Amino acid sequence: MDSEDEGTQPRVVDMTTSERVVDLLNQAALIPTDEKLTVLKQVQELIINKDPSLLDNFLDELIAFQTDKSIEVRKFVIGFIEEACKRDNELLLRLIANLNMLLKDDSVNVVKKAILTLTQMYKVSLQWLVRSKAVSERQEACWDLVTQMKGDVLALLDSENDGVRTHAIKFTESLIVTLSPRTSDSDVPKRQESDISLDKVPRDHSYIRYNVLCEEGKAALEKLLKFMVHPAITSINLTTTLGSLATIARQRPMFMSEVVQAYETLHANLPPTLAKSQVSSVRKNLKLHLVAVLKHPCSLEFQGQIGTLLLDLGMAQSEITRSTPAPREQRKRPRHEEYTEGKKVKMEPALNEDDEDKEEPALLLVPKPAAVPVAQSSIDLTAEFLHPLLSPDNVANLVLISMVYLPDVMPASFQATYTPVESAGTDAQIKHLARLMATQMTAAGIGPGLEQCKAREDDAMKDEGNDEDSVAKDPFIKRKAAMVGQAISVLGGYEKEKTPPPEAPAPVVKRLPEPIVPTGQTKMAGPSGRKKVFRLSDVVQPFSEAEIEKLTSKAIRRILHAEKTIAQSGMAHIRVKLLSKLVTQFEGMMKEDVLEFILEDIRARSDLAFSLLYQEYNTYLSHLPTGRLDSYDHCLYTLLSGLQEKPEQRDGLFTKLVLEAPLITESALDVIRRYCEDESRVYLGMTTLKELIVKRPSRQFQYLHVLLDLSSHEKEKVRTTALAFLKRMYEKDHLRDYIEKFALNYMQLLVHPNPPSLLFGADKDTEVAAPWTEETVRQCLFLYLSLLPLNHRMVHELASVYTEAIADIKRSVLRAIEQPIRGMGMNSPELLLLVENCPKGAETLVTRCLHILTDKVPPSPELVERVRDLYHKRVPDVRFLIPVINGLEKNEVIQALPKLIKLNPIVVKEVFNRLLGTQHSEGSSSVSPLTPGDLLIALHNIDSTKCDMKSIIKATNLCFGEKNVYTSEVLAVVMQQLMEQSPLPILLMRTVIQSLTMYPRLGGFVMNILSRLIAKQVWKYPKVWEGFVKCCQRTKPQSFSVLLQLPPAQLASVFERCPEMREPLLQHVLSFTLHQQAHIPASLMVVLEAHKKPEPKPVEPVVEKEMDPVPAPVEDKAPTVTLEGPETPEQPQPAAVREEEEPMEHEQPAPVMQEETVDTVSKEELTRAEEPQSSQPEPAEELMEESQPDPSDLQEPVENVEAGVKEPETGSGGEDVE
Amino acid sequence: MPPVGNIPEESNCSLCNIGWFPSADPVPFLTHHRERLRRLWVSGRRKRGFDVRSFGTGSHVKLPGPAPDKPNVYDFKTTYVQMYNDLVRKDKELYTQNGILHMLDRNKRIKSKPERFQSCKDMFDLVITCEERVYDQVLEDLNSREQETLQSVHVINVDIQDNHEEATLGAFLICELCQCIQHTDDMEDEMDELIQEFEEKSNRPFLHTVCFY
Repeated sequence: MDSEDEGTQPRVVDMTTSERVVDLLNQAALIPTDEKLTVLKQVQELIINKDPSLLDNFLDELIAFQTDKSIEVRKFVIGFIEEACKRDNELLLRLIANLNMLLKDDSVNVVKKAILTLTQMYKVSLQWLVRSKAVSERQEACWDLVTQMKGDVLALLDSENDGVRTHAIKFTESLIVTLSPRTSDSDVPKRQESDISLDKVPRDHSYIRYNVLCEEGKAALEKLLKFMVHPAITSINLTTTLGSLATIARQRPMFMSEVVQAYETLHANLPPTLAKSQVSSVRKNLKLHLVAVLKHPCSLEFQGQIGTLLLDLGMAQSEITRSTPAPREQRKRPRHEEYTEGKKVKMEPALNEDDEDKEEPALLLVPKPAAVPVAQSSIDLTAEFLHPLLSPDNVANLVLISMVYLPDVMPASFQATYTPVESAGTDAQIKHLARLMATQMTAAGIGPGLEQCKAREDDAMKDEGNDEDSVAKDPFIKRKAAMVGQAISVLGGYEKEKTPPPEAPAPVVKRLPEPIVPTGQTKMAGPSGRKKVFRLSDVVQPFSEAEIEKLTSKAIRRILHAEKTIAQSGMAHIRVKLLSKLVTQFEGMMKEDVLEFILEDIRARSDLAFSLLYQEYNTYLSHLPTGRLDSYDHCLYTLLSGLQEKPEQRDGLFTKLVLEAPLITESALDVIRRYCEDESRVYLGMTTLKELIVKRPSRQFQYLHVLLDLSSHEKEKVRTTALAFLKRMYEKDHLRDYIEKFALNYMQLLVHPNPPSLLFGADKDTEVAAPWTEETVRQCLFLYLSLLPLNHRMVHELASVYTEAIADIKRSVLRAIEQPIRGMGMNSPELLLLVENCPKGAETLVTRCLHILTDKVPPSPELVERVRDLYHKRVPDVRFLIPVINGLEKNEVIQALPKLIKLNPIVVKEVFNRLLGTQHSEGSSSVSPLTPGDLLIALHNIDSTKCDMKSIIKATNLCFGEKNVYTSEVLAVVMQQLMEQSPLPILLMRTVIQSLTMYPRLGGFVMNILSRLIAKQVWKYPKVWEGFVKCCQRTKPQSFSVLLQLPPAQLASVFERCPEMREPLLQHVLSFTLHQQAHIPASLMVVLEAHKKPEPKPVEPVVEKEMDPVPAPVEDKAPTVTLEGPETPEQPQPAAVREEEEPMEHEQPAPVMQEETVDTVSKEELTRAEEPQSSQPEPAEELMEESQPDPSDLQEPVENVEAGVKEPETGSGGEDVE
Repeated sequence: MPPVGNIPEESNCSLCNIGWFPSADPVPFLTHHRERLRRLWVSGRRKRGFDVRSFGTGSHVKLPGPAPDKPNVYDFKTTYVQMYNDLVRKDKELYTQNGILHMLDRNKRIKSKPERFQSCKDMFDLVITCEERVYDQVLEDLNSREQETLQSVHVINVDIQDNHEEATLGAFLICELCQCIQHTDDMEDEMDELIQEFEEKSNRPFLHTVCFY
């Protein structure tokens, strides 16, 4: 730029002025208002004063600030426009429209500043046009706009704002001065010497019409005068107007008469609205301005009136005189006249414009200028008319009459203006009074003066009628102005709409100047300013992405938050539609905003939510081949998650949203799943899921899968609810397979040595090596087990899995199946089939099932049949029989007894419980094939080859433990039956003794038994005999009578065993009466009395004799041994039992564990039974102890008489054989 | 162009109290930076140095002397320091007692010497006078100037009588008035009402007019 060679300063800073300006502008875009102003002022200084060549370059950048938020900055822009236009008038073309925009600014202060500037600009532009030789169309348009703006400002005299009106007044003042010719007697302020005024406007100007301007000026004056007499004018406006009029009077003395008259009118009619102090202020001003006018040389004519006014205003006559111009100036008056004429001369050509006559031809009475003197003379005429009428009488009458009209309160203005009339009655005073009244009358539109004037005016009007041209011109201008106005309003709105093509071709070309409208760009001025150093053309830039984003989202936000307002107008649905369409159309933040907004009160805004969702889906569909669901997915996901995260709502909005969504995406499904996992909402969630499954067949398996997944959920409530739903769904044919497959697959997992990671949810990254736990096992079974009662066939799958599973799992399975198996019931054909088939390795499972089934209900015949079958044909494990034992035949039970009692004591106990009906209340005892007596008898009759004596004894002890069952009566019957058997059971006497111990009152009965045993030659059964003796020993002396019934040899044997018995028995006999004693055989007495040694001998031979017949059966020794040494064989016995049991679990790797399994199971099962059991051991032990003495007692003699013991045994064995 | 509020002072001794009161404790006056100032005001920050300036309108600076008819008279070229020194020399005790020295001491810290309103070419938004005579002088001066920018200046007069109590009350009144004006959204539009309110409240006549630069 050529500015570079200017000044050294830029070089010092190493910057050209241009660069500095750019730098400053960049700064200005970013800094706060205060600093911005400083910077902008620097810029202004640089481009206007320092290097005006830059002005054009940076014009747009500076003007861009006219949309700045700060009022001060906007005001600065106005100032800049003024300075710039003054510097380079050509810029008016570009800037005047901007000024026009600012003239309509929202801020009053900006408007005021704009008015002030327009005051200057009006003059500048007029001068510029006048100077231009050829006026371009753009210039014309510019002037049109200026004219338009002038009209706007004049209209602002009616603004509501006091300050604006004040400024408008000042503008009007300046306008009047400009649009009237300067004369030689004009007061011309030095600064305004070069200002344009009407006299400098050539009448032959190609565009500006002299007479039009003249008329405009006069119209403005009229407007101002009219404005001043408005009754509601404020004091400030009034003061301003007074000052303006004074200025006008002094600068344009031709208007002095109007001004003075206006002053007079005002003085007599101060607005009633003024307060007292305001009246003082106004009067002070009036005085001041009157003096100022008075000082003007042209005031001569009005000195009288002014003087009177000043006197009224309280000014001393001396002062008035001092202010009155020197009489020498009177000579100026003719000059004034001259110039008035001169003015008229100038006006005249305006009227006869066509004449193009610059000369000043003969003066004519021209209407408007004439109007002034006319108005004046109307008051004059009326005053003259009144003057003679004001006789003291008349005046007194007037005063009296007007008294009636006086207000109640003295008006402030009157109070302020009232001065005692000093010169009352003098001619001067009467004249003054006449004039005052005339002023009032004229103002009121009455009086002879006014009428005369009117008549004159009418004449003048007729004259004016000649001026066809000017009249013709006027409408043309007006029309154009109107069009301009139209254009302006459009421009003011926005630049988008250009001036609509008007009818007349000429104005089309002559478009009004357009404002430089960078609007929103202001803020971006920084960066773009840099570029603009080089290129001005690319001023107009699209908004930046961020800007667009910001604006759009703001717009959306406004719509969003207009919720209530719009709802009130009943257009809510349109808002919803609009929002959803807008939001889906544009990417970005607003989507989030809207979603957030919805979620704030989703209940009330659900329609928006749905609308948005459908819109999103619609968008997806419309791009179908390539469309992506992301946006829709996001929308749905956000809404659902929002609902899911919200606290409990019962309105089912979640369900509604899910069911009405056009498509459920993966992530949405995740939310649904999460919803279902919430324990408080699991039901609602799953109902929703169920609905989905039912109503969206196309993807039902996807949804079903979620539900299936939940069926093994760790939270119980979730799980059970899911299972409940699944069970219901299982009834639907088309879903059944899928559910079943899933359940089975899941169960199949159990065959793995370790639980698959699948079981631990994706989040838990457990090593696969983790062992199975109860939890994980159950997880695999939940679904299966809940389906099992619905589909019994599935039970076989369980069996096959069971056989393959490891022990831990087996145990867990056994624990888990109780409910479902019970649910299936023992009539289930499939279950029966399972029992029948009982796969190898599933024996425990089957047993467990049997137990579960018969736990509370007696077994059905079918079941018994199946078990029996299984037992007899395939797996001869007696334990199968236990659950169904009550369903078996009596002989079957008796047959099985030996095996049964050899089982684990706990199991044995259970068996007995079942048999004795002591296990459960519901009368299974009645169902029992064996009565308690039968059982005890059966126990006594067990073949000792099939079962060891120890087990039998234990089993009998169990019976004795059930005191409730084995009452004395039952035992008596048992003893009776046993005694009648032949041969006598080995344990007979043990049972007798035990019964006696339990029920001592059975003593008599026992004696009877003993007696009958004698009859049965009890001594032939060594074991029994032993017990017999023992019993007698215990029951002495009751047993004495029985003993006496023994044959002598046997009695001797007794004494041999218990020598201490002899003496008491002898005494007993001796106590008999002789008669009684006579019944005692002598042989017996011999035994009783015999103390001789040979006596025992005969016994032995007897014994030996008895032994003889039974030498053969040696096998019988084994039981004898077991009896005699109960301790010794005990050890191997459990082992034997184990071995016998083992066949049940042939292939099991850990039979012991298995055993435990069963044990624990039975423990569980028998919890109820266990309690009595645990309390029983004591009595049982007692019994044992009590019975213990028996063997020990027995043992002693056995030791002593080894052979003797053997003999009876063999004897018994022999009898067995017999 | 500094936006300035103005209180004529030093025109004679009767105005001294008022004259220095606001200058020592600058009252925030309305300026054409109203928007900014209003914000400052609202945010509770009394920014110092709101452009408040005091002026005299007489031809000389008069300070009270030993007797009412014997004032100390200086021309506008005399600095406060010079006045101060002069009075100290004349009767330190008297001028300490009547507060003149104190006043001068404060004034000299604010500016070097008194200013005459008529010689000041800066433009103000608001001029406040405390005596009708001064008001007239201001008006006369303003109206005698050539109009140029047509920027408006409001001139307000509140009569404050020549005693300590009145001066203090008056100072507060003016201070309050200024604050109220400061608070208006649109000074010009609300000024009329505001002044009437004050007139009623204070029971004093106010004079108010607008002039143009």
